[in-house]
Amino acid sequence: MSVLTAAIGAELSKIKSSRIVRLVTGVVLGLHLLIGAANLGDTTTAVRNIGADGLIEIFAGERVLAGEALVDLLIASSLQIVVMFLPVVAAVIAGQEFLQGQLAQSVLSVPRRGILVTAKAVALVLYIGVVAVLVEAISSAYLYASVQDWNPGLVYAAGTLAEQARLLALAVLVSLVSFAITTLARSTLIGVVVSVLLMALTMTQVLARTVPSVDALLPVSAGRNLVLDAADADLSSGPVRAAVVLVAWAVVSTLVAGVVLSRRDAR
Amino acid sequence: MIEFKGVTKRYGAKTAVDAVTFAVRPGRVTGFLGPNGAGKSTSLRVLLGLDHATSGEALIAGKRYRDLTFPLRTVGALLDGAGPVPDRRGADHLAWIARSNRIPRSRVGEVLEAVGLTDAARQRTGRYSLGMRQRLGIATALLGDPEVLILDEPVNGLDPDGIRWIRSFLRGYAGRGRTVLLSSHLMTEMADTADDVVVIANGRIVADGALADITEGHPSLEDAFFALTGAASKQVWS
Ligand SMILES: Nc1ncnc2c1ncn2[C@@H]1O[C@H](COP(=O)(O)OP(=O)(O)OP(=O)(O)O)[C@@H](O)[C@H]1O
Ligand SMILES: [Mg+2]
Repeated sequence: MSVLTAAIGAELSKIKSSRIVRLVTGVVLGLHLLIGAANLGDTTTAVRNIGADGLIEIFAGERVLAGEALVDLLIASSLQIVVMFLPVVAAVIAGQEFLQGQLAQSVLSVPRRGILVTAKAVALVLYIGVVAVLVEAISSAYLYASVQDWNPGLVYAAGTLAEQARLLALAVLVSLVSFAITTLARSTLIGVVVSVLLMALTMTQVLARTVPSVDALLPVSAGRNLVLDAADADLSSGPVRAAVVLVAWAVVSTLVAGVVLSRRDAR
Repeated sequence: MIEFKGVTKRYGAKTAVDAVTFAVRPGRVTGFLGPNGAGKSTSLRVLLGLDHATSGEALIAGKRYRDLTFPLRTVGALLDGAGPVPDRRGADHLAWIARSNRIPRSRVGEVLEAVGLTDAARQRTGRYSLGMRQRLGIATALLGDPEVLILDEPVNGLDPDGIRWIRSFLRGYAGRGRTVLLSSHLMTEMADTADDVVVIANGRIVADGALADITEGHPSLEDAFFALTGAASKQVWS
């Protein structure tokens, strides 16, 4: 156990002391701050115009229940960052291992490769978890700024927090998939490209429109099915199936990465 | 104590190391000699659990490397294929390695001082010169104050001062009863450093014994080396 905790600590040190990882994380958070700031005015205006009937017009011509619509907006604003960029951060972290023989040094330090991969996965989950919480906190702060005169409690209502928790799980799981793919491919670039392809498959809804049962098996689609509301979006499966698919992707891909790393020579 | 027991390593059809068997004793500096491509690095990578042996096994203090708990506290290693990531600072590179084996953080400053890198501790390793990277690698090997030191071509890239320092350092290390195994393709540097030598050529051990015994009947270690590895060396140099 102490071997594992030491290895996790070392992996966290690696992540934190890498300039490129800090840079990419900073860019992602900065982008999220900018997008949020750009939308703040519109959302605040929409909230100010909520009628006596409690309906809000966020998209022109569509009047919907304000509370639900604002929470959906909150989740959607974090979702795009989480799905598009956190897998990239994960790929950058995982790809560091294949630069300049870093992997050989890692295996010298922690020769039990099962422990090494477990430590890496845990450290990644912790780091991505913190970044995802920051993303959600930024989204929440903007929402708070918009709704403070109407219903500030909306931001920390139990229902809102539950949705945030699901989004956090999604962030961690899709990042683990990206980490595993990068480790298998031994390349940040391939990890990023595959992550972007998986995301594009989901976002363009190509499979969802033609073969929804296959779409439901994709990790990003499963994530979308998990956090979005069937009433507002076309989903290819229910939330439980989506959770199973997403967890299976993360666990299986990480296991495969672990087994392959164990069998290959460390170079 | 290091033992190789019939270690064979193939990469596809290529046999890099063929039934290598020898032992390294504590309290002595053992030189692992052979021309380029002879199989030195491969043998050491198998010993350190980086490459999987096709057959045979290599043990340190009776155990496989991977079975050592916090191995860096027992074995320090320098390998050319195990460098720092260029965007990390030298001190941070040592810090994560120390943390992985629960080595006190204070050792980072100590080993940096020992190899003369204190001033470069906050620089990113991508900016290091060849010799500075080599010194950082030696610092990494020393981090856990190990009983066993395994260094692959430690003098590569070092300036004359560095070479003299590492020689006397290794002699002192072995003098305190510890085990030192260092590889080289240069004979001249071993003549003043090693007590024992193991000579490898074309993946096979061709000589193994005290330096004096190996050189007996030859004008110098270099002559002994060429006599022992003749065929293999010709392949490389001709
Ligand atoms: N990953 C690999 N794939 C295929 N062949 C390899 C691999 N690594 C080493 N070899 C081959 O194994 C042989 C031994 O290489 P090794 O690096 O062990 O030699 P060396 O004695 O360390 O040489 P040098 O003095 O040049 O460092 C060489 O013929 C090399 O081409
Ligand atoms: Mg070599």
